[in-house]
Amino acid sequence: MHMATVLTINGETKSFDAPPEMPLLWVLRDILGMTGTKFGCGIAQCGACTVHVDGKAVRSCVLPVSAVENRAITTIEHVGSTPAGAKVQKAWLDLEVIQCGYCQSGQIMSAAALLAATPNPDDSDIDAAMAGNICRCGTYVRIREAVKQAANGRQS
Amino acid sequence: MSGKMRILTSLGVIAIVAVALGLWIVRGPGPLDFAGGTKVTLADYRAGKPSGVPAKLEKASLVERGEYIAKAADCMVCHTKPGEKEYSGGLGFKLPFGTLYSTNITPDKDTGIGNYSDQDFLNAVQHGKRRDGARLYPAMPYTSYTFMTDEDVLAVKAYLFSLPPVRAKAPENTLSFPFNQRWAMMVWSAVFNPDTRFAPDTSKSPEWNRGAYLVEALAHCGECHTPRNLGFALDNRRKFAGAITAGWRAFNISSDKATGLGNWSDKDLISYLSLGHAPGHGSASGPMGEAVDHSFSQFAPEDIRSIVAYLRSVPPQPSPDLPATTAPVAPASHKDGITADARGKMLFAGACASCHGWSGESPVSPMATLTGTWAVNDPAATNVAQIVLSGTKRHTPDGALSMPAFGNAYTDDEIAAVANYVTARFGAKGSKLTAKDVAELREQTAE
Repeated sequence: MHMATVLTINGETKSFDAPPEMPLLWVLRDILGMTGTKFGCGIAQCGACTVHVDGKAVRSCVLPVSAVENRAITTIEHVGSTPAGAKVQKAWLDLEVIQCGYCQSGQIMSAAALLAATPNPDDSDIDAAMAGNICRCGTYVRIREAVKQAANGRQS
Repeated sequence: MSGKMRILTSLGVIAIVAVALGLWIVRGPGPLDFAGGTKVTLADYRAGKPSGVPAKLEKASLVERGEYIAKAADCMVCHTKPGEKEYSGGLGFKLPFGTLYSTNITPDKDTGIGNYSDQDFLNAVQHGKRRDGARLYPAMPYTSYTFMTDEDVLAVKAYLFSLPPVRAKAPENTLSFPFNQRWAMMVWSAVFNPDTRFAPDTSKSPEWNRGAYLVEALAHCGECHTPRNLGFALDNRRKFAGAITAGWRAFNISSDKATGLGNWSDKDLISYLSLGHAPGHGSASGPMGEAVDHSFSQFAPEDIRSIVAYLRSVPPQPSPDLPATTAPVAPASHKDGITADARGKMLFAGACASCHGWSGESPVSPMATLTGTWAVNDPAATNVAQIVLSGTKRHTPDGALSMPAFGNAYTDDEIAAVANYVTARFGAKGSKLTAKDVAELREQTAE
């Protein structure tokens, strides 16, 4: 018998039953049906499950729901309504960054958190922020270009 | 036996006796000698009851009381191999001279302690003597348990005998000569086992005496936190100054203000012992994590307070290799602060930053905050490397938080690089670990 857990996700209050140690990713995908956030490795080493908690990029696969009550969670479904997220998504479309796409919701979430904190990132900022997001198709070159384009609006 | 052998053997015996005499001289004070007050027998102590169970269990059955004491003495962790039945033994202790295996203490008659009488059990726990007369190695902390009352030891026996018997034979020890000579433990025991029951100190409060009993007789904190002397016994001249045990650093828990517990608040100590975490002091991992999970988290609140009262009284011992203060929060940007090790930074960015943050204050949970912990402020980086190798998991009433083990994913070189980066960025003085150091740490904890 669990107390109902209440989370604030994308500005909405969601209430559900889940054990306190259940990873946020499972809640998002399996309980709330928000499947935009992907399961990759399950040990915070690939970045596919990245979401924002209080504006910072974190890996939802190792994050127990008990740690995020009363905090603002943003997922890929909603990041387009933040200024940085909208710019990132537009740049991603303009440059056709995506190949298979599986890692890309995580990539976009990390990029959006980076731009919100560092509006004009240089290469080392991009490395530091994006190093934990792995892309097996190897779209890294386009990701870097798109982050720069989203930052200053220029076409490269 | 040839004449030559006989002479060699005699010389060996003489040498051992000489060493034993030397150790007699250097063995130093007992664990409670620092207190210095008048000691009385438990029977003559009227101010309180240092032994036994907390008030709420006073009326409980013998088995329930035994369960509390067995948990307080943390028997289970050492007497259980991960993945096997509780108390069925077989856990390996890697020592510099071979591996010792813990025994099955379920009541199985063939492979456990099912045939032990009360006296047999007392002999083992208080005197280090097995039912067949063989001597126990002091990996079994009978030099601490010797302070337990007969009543408490037998309550533990009643609890163990209430468990289902498990048939499980521990592997043979692989100790090298001369450490495989069990009889030599008779000499060791004569020198280093105080072989006496706990004697309350009338100059101290009942709370202190309860804490002393819990810490010294049951929880055996000194077995990891007190450095050892030449005879591998506890050197109480440096009581609770900290030591390396099983490849992990057990930090200073004396009352030293800089490097011990002197500046911890009561609230922090209570939180660390009962939950395995105190804000700004990090989270218990490795052997201390196990001690919290299986032992301290089960203690009654008043027993935790007694432990705190007792720990406060232990004289300060410095840890000269640790900085006088822990490092403050690191800069929020990856660009600022120390960037000593480019490879370490790259690994940190990819594998660590999303949970621990660039400042060391975790965006995820205070339990994952690195700032202020001794682990990152230890220039030897022992526990940083161990946690990276084997991961960690903390349970609290609000849930659990875990860090994955990276030991199989990264090479010794990479783990050394990330540990050096972490200690330089978040600690007071960066470590200089090499791949060889990491390989040795792996070796010390490997099962």
